[in-house]
Amino acid sequence: MSTDSKSGGRIPIENGIEQTLRKVLKESLKSDLIDALLLPVKVPSGDSYAWILMQDPALVEEEASPMAAVMPVQGAKALKSLTRKGNGSLRVAAMMRPCEVRGTIELSKLNQINLDNVTLISYDCPGALPLSDMSDAPQDTEEAFMGLLSERNFESTAVKPVCQFCTEFSMGAADVHIGMADPDTSQLLLISGSEKGTAFLSATGLKVDEEPSAWEKQTDSIQKKRIQQMDKAFQTIQPMVEGFDNLADTFSNCIGCHNCQSACPICYCRQCYSDSKESSLESAYYLDKAEKRGGISLPHDRLMFHVGRLSHMSLSCVSCGQCTDACPVSIPVAKVFSYVAAQTQQAFEYKAGKTAGEAIPLKEYKEDELKKIHEMTKSAESQESPHE
Amino acid sequence: MGKTFNPKITAFLCKWCSYTGADLAGTSRLQYPTAIIPIKVMCSSRVDPVFLIRAFLKGADGVLIGGCHPGDCHYESGNYHTRRRFAILQSIFDSLNLEKDRLRLSWISASEGPKFARVCNEFTDKIQKMGPNPTRKNMFI
Amino acid sequence: MSKMLTTDHGADKSVVDLLRFLLDTEKVSGVLTLRKTNTSGSLDYGLLTRSQELDRAVPLMPVMPANAAQSLSLITPTQKPIAVVVKPCELRGFVERIKREQGSLDNVLTLSPTCGGVIPLDTYIKKSKDNLTKDYYKQVKAGEIPESIRPTCKACEYFVPMTADITVSVVGEQNLDSKCRFILNSDKAVSMTEGFGSVENGDLDAKILDDHLKKREKEKKALFESIKFKQDGLDGMIDVFGKCIGCHGCSRVCPICYCLLCDFESRNFDQNVSLFEKELEQKGALRLPPDTLFFHLGRMSHMSFSCVGCGQCTDVCPADIPVASVFKKIGENTAALFDYVPGKDVNEDIPVLVFKEEEFKELGE
Ligand code: SF4
Ligand code: SF4
Ligand code: SF4
Ligand code: FES
Repeated sequence: MSTDSKSGGRIPIENGIEQTLRKVLKESLKSDLIDALLLPVKVPSGDSYAWILMQDPALVEEEASPMAAVMPVQGAKALKSLTRKGNGSLRVAAMMRPCEVRGTIELSKLNQINLDNVTLISYDCPGALPLSDMSDAPQDTEEAFMGLLSERNFESTAVKPVCQFCTEFSMGAADVHIGMADPDTSQLLLISGSEKGTAFLSATGLKVDEEPSAWEKQTDSIQKKRIQQMDKAFQTIQPMVEGFDNLADTFSNCIGCHNCQSACPICYCRQCYSDSKESSLESAYYLDKAEKRGGISLPHDRLMFHVGRLSHMSLSCVSCGQCTDACPVSIPVAKVFSYVAAQTQQAFEYKAGKTAGEAIPLKEYKEDELKKIHEMTKSAESQESPHE
Repeated sequence: MGKTFNPKITAFLCKWCSYTGADLAGTSRLQYPTAIIPIKVMCSSRVDPVFLIRAFLKGADGVLIGGCHPGDCHYESGNYHTRRRFAILQSIFDSLNLEKDRLRLSWISASEGPKFARVCNEFTDKIQKMGPNPTRKNMFI
Repeated sequence: MSKMLTTDHGADKSVVDLLRFLLDTEKVSGVLTLRKTNTSGSLDYGLLTRSQELDRAVPLMPVMPANAAQSLSLITPTQKPIAVVVKPCELRGFVERIKREQGSLDNVLTLSPTCGGVIPLDTYIKKSKDNLTKDYYKQVKAGEIPESIRPTCKACEYFVPMTADITVSVVGEQNLDSKCRFILNSDKAVSMTEGFGSVENGDLDAKILDDHLKKREKEKKALFESIKFKQDGLDGMIDVFGKCIGCHGCSRVCPICYCLLCDFESRNFDQNVSLFEKELEQKGALRLPPDTLFFHLGRMSHMSFSCVGCGQCTDVCPADIPVASVFKKIGENTAALFDYVPGKDVNEDIPVLVFKEEEFKELGE
């Protein structure tokens, strides 16, 4: 999947993938490299997971669900709550899905996460199951997900819609990556992506000297299929969003709760512009406006909220699907956002969260970019179409 | 039995009465437990119930509000509001069967050093008997 | 004896006719009503100023896409008169907002039904709408509690609007499809409806409503018993709220939570890493983002006495937490401390703004 060569090491899988992983994680916690782990843990009611920051190695084996069936809270949000006020001395290793890593990278670019003391661990992700599956049938959902992992099934249609066409399901900017797609299913392949990662792996006692070429081949082939899936999906999404009427129809059940935004890892503002004083006007304005048009729709500006949000954050959308999970009226928010994000990100040849070094596109500009817009304004000028 | 239990009690004390009462207890060399962690506030009504909730959830074994006697509030009626809010919070704790005995409201005037010491001793004894706040050990809070 | 106005059309049509009348006679400049926005049955609240816009209005639809109290805060105070059709708990919610200086009833004519309850949004969106409402009305007409409504609606005792100018009789109305009774509760109601139909003396049927109330009370008891906090304390609370994802949707859709920036989203409770580190040392493990229970307990302490039990919070919760059931139960107890009924009287202050010297003598020693 990437150009530079990676190196990895293996440990035999004993008592299942998760148990093997717990051991590795526990080792890291016992080493003097890592002070705490950030991991999903099943909540006492058994029908969801919470992010738990763990210091006690005994807890890792008892409680951790390093690969959780659903994603109740996007991992980037959990990490944000820890380091948004800056860095401390606590050295944390966080176990996340690839889209959570990407969200984390975006938030670090937006100064909401400090990664200095954080080691990011990711894995080839078969996709997350919808959150509501877990509330409805916790045990089945968990078993279904464990099934996907053990069968190395990356083509499931049970996972969230955006996961089905996620092309960034594998190693990105993580320091350590678990090669779940590797053909050898008797061992766990751990790949280092950075110096931090190499240090982490050697702290757990792993020899890291192998070029994981079989894994690379496998992820490449999965990615090819996912790209096809994406093309297919985008064909169905396009008519949902193009043209005002279609867009309005897609969001016609929206109640304006803004759950989508508050579940989104990228939307980090404490008070969204759309919830602020600035976005509402004098009370008389609404009746005046209604008189001009015959009527207005309330709660106000529901469609504008979505388009506004797209304009503010689509360049950083990591297609995690949290917005859809959080929507009480089952609007496919994430499909729409992924689709639009693919276009806006492509315009800047940017892939949100993929590499840590790049600045977000809105922070910089090049004088000779976006020629198309240039041409559009030019041709508009020459046509001199008068606006009303 | 494990380690001995050293309770921690967060005490929000109004500057004009209870905090001064605490000072008096100190200068009169009256003993009151080290469990008490005093926080000075301008008036007992400065204490949003949310402060008590936070202290409770962060593991304080007891939470105390000390204010001027009803009718004596430096700002005339602050403590009457405090009393209502305290009643609300107690009711919530009661409905949820959380340990409402870990919350306490006391009126202690500036001259009541001995009362301050007595309230603190009593409260600490009670908390000692109740044992550590279960929030201290719960990771899901 | 109140004044009553009867029409010989079904309730929904009659309400629309009345709204049309009010607009056409220019007694009001606008009306706020539920309406269908497309053929698949999506709903919004329309603030409508032309009577032809009323063609898609479904004022009595038993669904609550958003608690209208929030929108009423947006469009009031108004200089020009408007009429609004809202559910009893929406009206109560708005009354609670007015007490918090979030709007005004001046120049607002309020219409509200005796409410058969509201179908959860999720059910409404996913199920066949025709069957849903058919079954619903069958039960409402018979004075029964409809199967399909929200748990807190089943347990709601305040289904008769408390402060509406005009009450539309719905619960227990056998002939709901062929006639409609409007109870005119205020002088304003009488003068605004003048010319719409003949007015006589009359009132809601006390016996029917009383019977219905008993059923609701029974449901309430069952609901409160099903919230099993009593046995478990802290663990019980984690059992219910432990899967909260912290989206705060519940507070954003709440008619009472009017703050633009909630305390629990502000910087007030942010922590430095070093503080987390200290806690971690003591506990061995902690949750991130933090403050899951803190948010809910804090919200209860700030607003529970004003909770109108509308159920909006449960409807929007992505984690399927019965938020409204818990808040309703807590709220009843905190409101009872002050003999307070949220939404009953717009001139009554909220309990935390006032006090009596003689009360709660037992508190504080
Ligand atoms: S918009 Fe939706 S899919 Fe995109 S990052 Fe936010 S929550 Fe994830
Ligand atoms: S979560 Fe759904 S209903 Fe709420 S604002 Fe977003 S799209 Fe609208
Ligand atoms: S809506 Fe549900 S998940 Fe969101 S904050 Fe409220 S209780 Fe938690
Ligand atoms: S100043 Fe002491 S309670 Fe108000």
